[in-house]
Amino acid sequence: MKKHRGIKMFYLIVMLIFLYAPILTLMVLSFNASKSRSRWGGFTLDWYISLVEDGGIISAFKTTLIIAFLSALIATVLGTAACIGMQTMRRKLRRLILAITNIPMLNADIVTGVSLMLLFIAARMTMGFRTVLLAHITFNIPYVILSVMPRFRQLNRNTYEAALDLGASPLYAFFRITLPDLMPAILSGFLMSFTMSLDDFIITHFTKGAGFDTLSTKIYSEVKKGIKPEIYALSTLMFVTVLLLLWLVNYHPWTRRKNDGSRKKYRSVPGIAAVLVTIICATGLLSGCGSSAAADYNNPNSLFIYNAGEYIDPDLLTEFEEETGINVVYDEFETLEIMYPKVESGAARYDLICPSDYMIEKMRKNDLLKPINIDNIPNLQNIGESYWETARSFDPDNTYAVPYCWGTVGILYNKTMVDEPVDSWSILWDEKYKDQILMQDSVRDAMMVALKLLGYSANTTNEKELREATELLEKQKPLVQAYVVDQVRDKMIGNEAALGVIYSGEAIFTKRENPDLDYVVPKEGSNIWLDCWVMPKNATHVENAEKFLDFLSRPDIAYRNFDYITYSTPNTAARELIPDEDIKNSNIAFPDLTKMNGLETYSFLGEKEDRYLNSLWREVKAY
Amino acid sequence: MPVKLIDLQHITKRYDDNTVLDDFSLYIRENEFVTLLGPSGCGKTTTLRIIGGFERPDSGTVLFQDKDITDLPPNKRELNTVFQKYALFPHMTIADNIAFGLRIHKKSNDYIKDKISYALKLVNLEGYENRMPDSLSGGQQQRIAIARAIVNEPKVLLLDEPLGALDLKLRQDMQYELIRLKNELGITFVYVTHDQEEALTMSDTIVVMNQGYIQQIGTPTDIYNEPQNAFVADFIGDSNIVSGIMIRDKLVEILGARFDCVDTGFGENRPVDVVIRPEDIDLVKPEEGTIEGVVTDVIFKGVHYEMCVMSNGFEWIVHSTDCFPVDTHVGIHVDPFDIQIMHKPESEDEKAVAVDE
Amino acid sequence: MNKKSRLLSGPYLIWSIGFIIIPLFIILFEAFTGENGQFTLQYVADITWFVNLKSLGLSLVFSLISTAVCLLLAYPLAMILAEFGKGRSSITVLVFILPMWMNSLLRTIAWQNLLERHGVINGFLSALHLPSLYIINKPPAIVLGMVYDFLPFMVLPIYNAISRIDRDVINAARDLGANGVKTLFSVIWPMSLPGVISGITMVFVPSLTTFVISDILGGGKILLIGNIIEQMFTQDSDWHAGSGLSIVLMIFIVISMIIEEKYDTAPSTGSKKERRKK
Repeated sequence: MKKHRGIKMFYLIVMLIFLYAPILTLMVLSFNASKSRSRWGGFTLDWYISLVEDGGIISAFKTTLIIAFLSALIATVLGTAACIGMQTMRRKLRRLILAITNIPMLNADIVTGVSLMLLFIAARMTMGFRTVLLAHITFNIPYVILSVMPRFRQLNRNTYEAALDLGASPLYAFFRITLPDLMPAILSGFLMSFTMSLDDFIITHFTKGAGFDTLSTKIYSEVKKGIKPEIYALSTLMFVTVLLLLWLVNYHPWTRRKNDGSRKKYRSVPGIAAVLVTIICATGLLSGCGSSAAADYNNPNSLFIYNAGEYIDPDLLTEFEEETGINVVYDEFETLEIMYPKVESGAARYDLICPSDYMIEKMRKNDLLKPINIDNIPNLQNIGESYWETARSFDPDNTYAVPYCWGTVGILYNKTMVDEPVDSWSILWDEKYKDQILMQDSVRDAMMVALKLLGYSANTTNEKELREATELLEKQKPLVQAYVVDQVRDKMIGNEAALGVIYSGEAIFTKRENPDLDYVVPKEGSNIWLDCWVMPKNATHVENAEKFLDFLSRPDIAYRNFDYITYSTPNTAARELIPDEDIKNSNIAFPDLTKMNGLETYSFLGEKEDRYLNSLWREVKAY
Repeated sequence: MPVKLIDLQHITKRYDDNTVLDDFSLYIRENEFVTLLGPSGCGKTTTLRIIGGFERPDSGTVLFQDKDITDLPPNKRELNTVFQKYALFPHMTIADNIAFGLRIHKKSNDYIKDKISYALKLVNLEGYENRMPDSLSGGQQQRIAIARAIVNEPKVLLLDEPLGALDLKLRQDMQYELIRLKNELGITFVYVTHDQEEALTMSDTIVVMNQGYIQQIGTPTDIYNEPQNAFVADFIGDSNIVSGIMIRDKLVEILGARFDCVDTGFGENRPVDVVIRPEDIDLVKPEEGTIEGVVTDVIFKGVHYEMCVMSNGFEWIVHSTDCFPVDTHVGIHVDPFDIQIMHKPESEDEKAVAVDE
Repeated sequence: MNKKSRLLSGPYLIWSIGFIIIPLFIILFEAFTGENGQFTLQYVADITWFVNLKSLGLSLVFSLISTAVCLLLAYPLAMILAEFGKGRSSITVLVFILPMWMNSLLRTIAWQNLLERHGVINGFLSALHLPSLYIINKPPAIVLGMVYDFLPFMVLPIYNAISRIDRDVINAARDLGANGVKTLFSVIWPMSLPGVISGITMVFVPSLTTFVISDILGGGKILLIGNIIEQMFTQDSDWHAGSGLSIVLMIFIVISMIIEEKYDTAPSTGSKKERRKK
C-alpha cells in the first residue's frame, strides 16, 4: 500500500493549496498598504489599527461571543437534561423526540430562519438580542443531544447501581458517578454548539433586529458596501486565533501531560477547550457589556436612527451625544425595500428614518408616519424653499418630511476606458462595454434607466411599458458585470468597470479618489431624488429626535456632513460655507435644474404595483 | 522427505524503533501443520503477515517453492489467510463472500456454485448462502472465513489466532474441526496462537517465539517434555523452574539437596536451570524424600489437587491425586528422567536457539 | 434513574414544540392561506412561475454539480488521509478541516478577491502574460464557492467511514486475489457508502438552499431559489409566497433525507463532525 506515495502527496498538496490559498490571500492583503487587490503597496498595520478603532466590528464580535457562549450554555443544560429524561421513556416516544431534534439539523437554514422569524413576528417580539439568542439555542440543542445521547448507551449501568448498592442516594450517585462519565460528551456538545453559533449567518440574518449585529451579519452588510481591508485584518486575526486554540488543545504541554494513561486524552481535550472558550467569553463579557446591552428602546434618554449606509459623518453622532447626553443607536439599511417591511411590521423600532421620496409617500399613505413639529426645530429655516417645494410632491403639507440630501441618478464613467462622449443611457447597451457595466441593484433605479431610454415616465404603471423596459433590461444583462448597490463606488475607483449607474452624491467623492472618473445625467432625463428625515408612528423619543434634526440643520454641522458624505445638501446656509468655489458651484452637486429635461421624482406606485415591479426585476436577475 | 514450501531467510522487521523480528529464519514443509506460539508482541503475527504479503520485511527474503516472493503483493500469492476477527465483507452475503476470490479468478458460475456448497458443507454451514455476515455467530463467521479461504485451493492456509474471539467450548470444537479440515484438504497450515493448549492439540510442529526470536522448534511432545530453556518451560504448561548447580554428569544440586538426573555434558559445578513439571513430583513421607517441605496451600482442581509446598525458601507447585492437608510435613521425590536441566541464558541475545530436528 | 427524572425532558420538549414544531406549522399555514385567511394552493403553485422554476432548476443543477465535484475531490482525499492518518496523530486530518473554522462568509469573500477582474488570480496571470480568467459573477464561480465552502462536509464523513473499515477486511480482499482497483470498487467503496451518502446530503442541502454564495460570487446576476425566498421575506415581505416556496424547497430536502435514511444503516449518532451542518 506504500505505492504511489508521490502521487498521493502531490494530491494532498494540491488540495491544501486549494483550501488555504483564499485564506492566505486574505492574510497577505491585510498587510497591503494599497487598497487595490492586485497591487502590493508595501507593508502596513493600518488596517488592524482601524479595525480596532471601528467600534461596529468590535462590538459585533463581542455580541457574537456573548450569543455563542450563552446559547451554547443554555443549550447544553437543556439538552443534557432532556437526554437524562429520555432514558426512562418508552422507546417510541424517545424516537419521536429524537426525530423532532433532527429537524433543525437536516432542514435548510433558510427555512429554519424564516420559520423562526415568522414565529417571532406572530408573537410580537421585538427582533434583537433576545430573538437571536432564542434562535441559536434552538439550533444548538440538537448538537448537544446528538453528542450526549450515544454516550448514555455506552454508559456502564453497573457503576451507577454499584453506587446505589454502596448506599448513595440516586441524586448523589448521579452527580458523582453518571455525570462525570457523561462529561466529555457534554463538553464536546457545548463546543460544537459554540462553533455552530459563531459561524451562523443565515438564521441570524432572519431573526436579528435593528441595531444588532453578529460578526457574520456585520460582514455581510460590509460586503454589500464593498470589501474593506479591515475585513481582511479581521479574517487574519480570526484564523490565527483558531490556529492558536487548536495548537493549545493539541500540543501545549499542559494538555499533553494528561496523556499518561491515567486519564484518557479525549477527556481532557474538550475540557480544556471549553475552559479556554469560557475564559475568552468572560473577558469579552467583562470588557464589552455596554455596547450590546444599550440597544434598549425603552430607555428614554436614547434616540434610534435608521439610515442608509455611510450616509452621515459618524463624528457628528458622537458630537451630538456629547452635546446633549442622548444615547444614539444608529443602524443602517441596505435598500429602502429592505427597510420598509422592518418598520411596517414593527419588528424594529426607530425614532428617525431617512427614506427617499416615493418611500415617504408609501409610508405616509400606509399611515406609518408621525407629523414633525417644525416649530420645535428652529434651524429648519436654513433649508431652501425650493426643496420644501420638491418635498410637497410626496408630502403635500410638509408635515412629515424634513429634507436631508438630494441629487440625481446618472452615469459614472472612466474617461480612460470610454472613448466617446457619454450623454445617453443607451451607452449602457453598447456591446463594446460588455462586462464593464455596473447597474444599480434596485428596482426603481434600474427600471427608471430603461423607461427613460424608452421615453416613458419613471413612474409608469402601464404594464406594456413596464414589460418593454423589463425586456430591455434582460437584453442588457449579458453586458452587465454585476448588479450592486454601494459597491459601484469602490469598483469604479478601483477601475473594475468602465460605466456605472450611480447617485450624484457619490460622484463628487469618487472623482476626488480617481480623477479619471466623470459623471453625467443623460439627456433622456433621469430621477431627481430627495431624501428626508421622517418619524415613524410608533416613535417615542420625539423630543430627542427634534433635537437631532435641529442639530443636523445647523449650518456648520450640515456643511461638515456634506463635506463627509458629499451628497448635495438642501441647507442653503451650509452651501454658503463651502470654501471651494468649484464645488459650491459644481454642476454635479448643485446642478441648475432649469436647464435639465425629464427629471422626475419617484412616486409611490401602490403595493400591488410594487410587487409586480419586484417580480419583473427578479425576472431580469434570475439567470 | 517433504520439500521446503516456504522459506524465510534472515528476516528483520522494525516498527519505528521497535525491532519485531531480528534476523529471523524459518522454513515450513509441505503438508505440515505449523504453529507459531508465543506471548503477544513476540513477532508471530508479523511473521504470518510477512508470509501473507501484508507486511514487507526491512531485510531478508521470503521464498515460496524456491521462488522469491518478498515483493509480491498479496493478491499474487498462492496462499490465503484466515484473519483474527474473520474480516468478512459485511456488505456481501455469505455466498458472495465465499465466491469473492473465485470470481476474481474468473471461474465459471457453475464451478463457483459447486464450490460454495462444497465449502459450506465442509464447514457444516449448509444453507447459509444468502445470510449476511452479521446475522451469524462468531463461530459461524469464523467457519465462513475459513471456507472463503479454502475454496481458492491455496497451497498454504495462514490462520491468525482464528479462535481467539471464541468462547472455550466453541474453541475446542473448532480445534477438532480444523484438524479434520487439514486432514481432508491435505494442505499446509500455518497457525498463529498464544494459546499453548491449542498449539499442543493441533500442531505437527510448534515454533515457540519470544521477542522476535525462535526459542524452540519441535513436536508438541518435545516442546512439552524437553523445553530447551526456562522461557519455553514456563510458557508451556506449569513448571517449577529453580536454579541449581550441576555437580557432575547425572547429579544436580537444588536448594541444597542433591538429585539424580539423566543429563550429561554440562560440565562440573556449573550453574543451571532445572525444570520439574508439577505432575512429576511425588510427595512422600518426610524421611523418604530427597528434600523436605511443608504444604502451605491446597486447591482441589477436579482431576487432581494442586498443592504448594514450601522447602528451603522455594515454593513448589505439585499436582497429585492424593491430598495432603495444609501444614503437613512431606518429602519431595522426583524420578531422575523427570528432571530437565537447561543452560542458564548468558545474555539476552542467547534466546535465539535454532534447532534442527 | 427513576421515573421522575423523565420530567427533565420537559423543558426541552416544550422548547422543541415552541421553536421547532410551531414555526413549521406557521410556515405551512402561511403557505396555504391567502391574504384574507382563505385556503389556497396558489402560493405553492407559484413555483411553476417561470422565474421561480428557473431559479429552482438552476439551484438543483448547481448543487448537483457541486455535490459531484465535492465527491470526486473528497473521496481520494479521504482515502489518502485514512491511509496516512494510520498510526499517526490525526493532525493531517485536522489540517484539512481547519478552514471550516473560519467564518464561512469570510471564506466566500476570499474567493471574490481571488476571482475579480483585477483580483489576485488575474494579477498573477497577467504577470505571467497569460489570458485572464473571468468567471466571477458567472455560474462557475458559484459552483466553485459551493465546492470550497462545503468540501469539508464531504471529506469528514467519508474519512470516518473509510478509517472505520477493518484493515484486515481490505487485506482479506487482497489476499483473495483482488488488485488495488478491484478492492476499491468491491470492498472499500460499498463499505464507505454510508459516509458517502451522509456527505452528499450535507453538501447537497446547503448548496441547494444557499443565497449567500450566489449573492457574493454572483454579482446579483444569478438568482437561486434561496435568493428568491430571501427576497420574498426581506424585500417583498410577502410571507405567503415566501412560505409557499419554502415548502417546495422542503420537499427536496425531505427527499434527500429519505434517501439518506435508506442507505445510512449506521446509527444516526455517528461522529460529531460527521453531523456538522450547513
